[in-house]
Amino acid sequence: MSIKPAGEEREVKLLGGATVDGAPIAYLIVLAAVVTGLALIPLSVVLGSGKSFPMSQGIYPLVGWILGPIAGAIASAIGASLGIFIAPHTTTVPLATVLGAVMGSFAAGAMVAAGPRRNWWLPLSLLLFVIYGFYGGRAVLQNGVPVYAVVLGSFINWSALLLFLLPTRRLAASWIGHQDLRRVASGLFLGTWMAAGLSHLTAAAIVYFVVNWPEAVWLAMAPLAPLEHLARCVVGTVIGTGVIAGLRAIGLVKPAWAVY
Amino acid sequence: MGSFSVSIEPLVSLDKVSYLYPRSKKLALCDISLEIHKGEFLGLIGPTGAGKTTLCLTLNGIVPQFYGGRFFGRVTVAGLDTVDHPISTLARHVGVVFQDPETQLIATSVENEIAFALENLCVPREEIKERIPRVLAAVRLEGTEHKHPHELSGGQKQRLAIAAALAMQPDLMVLDEPTSQLDPVGAEEVFATVRELNREVGMTIVMASHAAEEMAEYADRIVLLYDGRIIAAGTPDEIYAQIDLLYEHYLRPPQVAETFYMIGKRGAPVNKPPVRMREGAMLLDTLYQQCTIAAPKNLSMPVFHRGEPLLSVQDLKHTYPDGTQALQGVSLDIHEGEYVLIIGQNGAGKSTLVKHFLNLLRPTAGTVKIGGVEVGNFSVSELARRIGYVAQNPDNQIFSTTVGNEVSFALRNLGYSAKEVEERTVESLEAMGLLDVRDAHPLSLPKGDRARVVIAAILAMKPEVIIFDEPTTGQDFRGARFILDISRKLHQMGKTVLVITHHLYLMPEYAERVIVMGKGTILLDAPIREAYHQVELLRSTFLSPPQAVLLAQQLNHRERQDWKLLTPREVADCFVCHSNGKGGMV
Repeated sequence: MSIKPAGEEREVKLLGGATVDGAPIAYLIVLAAVVTGLALIPLSVVLGSGKSFPMSQGIYPLVGWILGPIAGAIASAIGASLGIFIAPHTTTVPLATVLGAVMGSFAAGAMVAAGPRRNWWLPLSLLLFVIYGFYGGRAVLQNGVPVYAVVLGSFINWSALLLFLLPTRRLAASWIGHQDLRRVASGLFLGTWMAAGLSHLTAAAIVYFVVNWPEAVWLAMAPLAPLEHLARCVVGTVIGTGVIAGLRAIGLVKPAWAVY
Repeated sequence: MGSFSVSIEPLVSLDKVSYLYPRSKKLALCDISLEIHKGEFLGLIGPTGAGKTTLCLTLNGIVPQFYGGRFFGRVTVAGLDTVDHPISTLARHVGVVFQDPETQLIATSVENEIAFALENLCVPREEIKERIPRVLAAVRLEGTEHKHPHELSGGQKQRLAIAAALAMQPDLMVLDEPTSQLDPVGAEEVFATVRELNREVGMTIVMASHAAEEMAEYADRIVLLYDGRIIAAGTPDEIYAQIDLLYEHYLRPPQVAETFYMIGKRGAPVNKPPVRMREGAMLLDTLYQQCTIAAPKNLSMPVFHRGEPLLSVQDLKHTYPDGTQALQGVSLDIHEGEYVLIIGQNGAGKSTLVKHFLNLLRPTAGTVKIGGVEVGNFSVSELARRIGYVAQNPDNQIFSTTVGNEVSFALRNLGYSAKEVEERTVESLEAMGLLDVRDAHPLSLPKGDRARVVIAAILAMKPEVIIFDEPTTGQDFRGARFILDISRKLHQMGKTVLVITHHLYLMPEYAERVIVMGKGTILLDAPIREAYHQVELLRSTFLSPPQAVLLAQQLNHRERQDWKLLTPREVADCFVCHSNGKGGMV
């Protein structure tokens, strides 16, 4: 600022706009609508239940990076809930759909490297460990599925959890915040692998308690689930890069806990 | 009229207000001090980027409470400091209406739209039910309570937005370029409504607008903003009479003021150019006695085009699935190298006609040919190579993350070699003055520049015909002239140019031929000098002839001539005056 204003500087508080955890409500509504809209588009058939999964699964993490963990989780929950009604063909167990969406956005928003929320990943990781324990444990101990089948079939889940625990979590967040759009795209891909994988883990754990798919399905999932997951990552990367580039370009208000 | 007068007590006070948007290094507002009085109609004028919208948004606290950034000084509205009080509190005192009515309406019925904000402010249900008919009557929308807002016309939608703001019973109504997206009827409806609210109810109005003629007519006071600063403030007579000041700040004076300014420059005794048409007409009468009227010289006439038409429409009819007969037997030939202006009220069939050229619509009956070949025989890519289309809102045509990618997108998809893609992209960017921002995100550019991005993308395809659909909507005078200058440059390059616009005053320097459409038919197809002087016909389809044309008609009537003058300069050139010490500009 080359000119010194004559007036006294005032303390600016973002108190007037209707916000949720620092994210304008208008943003929540728009992103919830996008999640709902993408819930209409099936990506492929999931073997376990015979249902297809919606394209919206690829942007749950993006919602978290744009709005932050809490507002993002709320937006995704609203969008996914509406999606259940307007696109039941992409939903297996409604509760799993909603909680999966919540986890996808929350985990993404918690990938911050600094600030008061930098340690949120820790309790979240513990929770996810517990979820994975219930999911895999039920398959091995109660349903008698061999461990190797569970490990292979849940590759996208444990790999996401592992990457979330390692410094790759911070790396993805810093890339998403980078000025270079190629880095942003890389961060989105890596981050979506993690956050969408954790979203899938949460949803799959619930669905498994309902469906209890057999060993053959676990084994069939081993090559197919990563392919599906790649599709989620591509969706998140393509949409996310455009959205983040656009948001930066038009200079709209950045939510308080946004990662981009 | 005028039953309410302006109070001495200020309703709004801005004291040394400066504002810096987040991530910006340049002040959007700089040391603004201003008082707005109760019952006043204040007009804000200034080119794009002057700070008009930012100033409007400081009045209800959206700046800085929503945008953040750094804020200096103090704004008080009805005694409330806009930094210290939440937007929800300020919303009870300040109603805001924005440029685009489409972006403001969210409910599924007119009455729900009005009730929405009131419900959010916990106004009791019975009170809401009382207010709805009252505000609908105030904006003359009675009987539309149960309609979906999207069933309303553009002007009605904007009036609904005003009604929704009015329902909050605000002390102040802020309107940010409320007519720039509307057709002439819609704009007139909005101005009439605002004038009524101001003069009959005493509502304080702040309106930012580029509509110089209307602002001169309705505003009590004008504030000229430039680069975030107040450059001048005064009555419309004081501000709009300062033609050089307006030119200097890229603003368009009312044509009547511009005409008399130019007459004054020729030695006529014009102490101060009148800014309203009725005063201009009176002054013109007195000047006859002091000046000699000379026949105009060198009035440009369009080139007469012969030969095979490039675009040919024969007995074209189009009926939409809902039964609307949008075109009813239109026949038209457009030759290579013509510059054609298509005008008419919304619903006249302009866009429907143009969509047939692009094969976006199929004729219900009749034929549309390009170069003698039925348009339906062309593939989309072939048509894209022959006809370029610049839509009204450039943002609807932009989707790439850099300007360079946007311009080269179609070329890459049409299979041109990498070398040719690069050459054409650079050539187009250079022609549009965009080479420096090749790597910028298109949405980071001002709206005028975004329109240039779209034009550059079309230019890269080297089409024979370029269609501009309302290219000047939402642009300030400089932006509008810039785009039209581009259209002229393309025309001079031999391209066939079609422009659809409501802004008739902008076109005399560009268009050669005018097609006036109404109710799906061609009402008039004539050279621009003929067409603009068909004043009654233009008015019958709610188009406003430029003030210079009206003055020229008065001159013709007096001189018993039929001079087809179009611009302030042409009218002024007819005056041969000899300054006798009393005349000339003061």
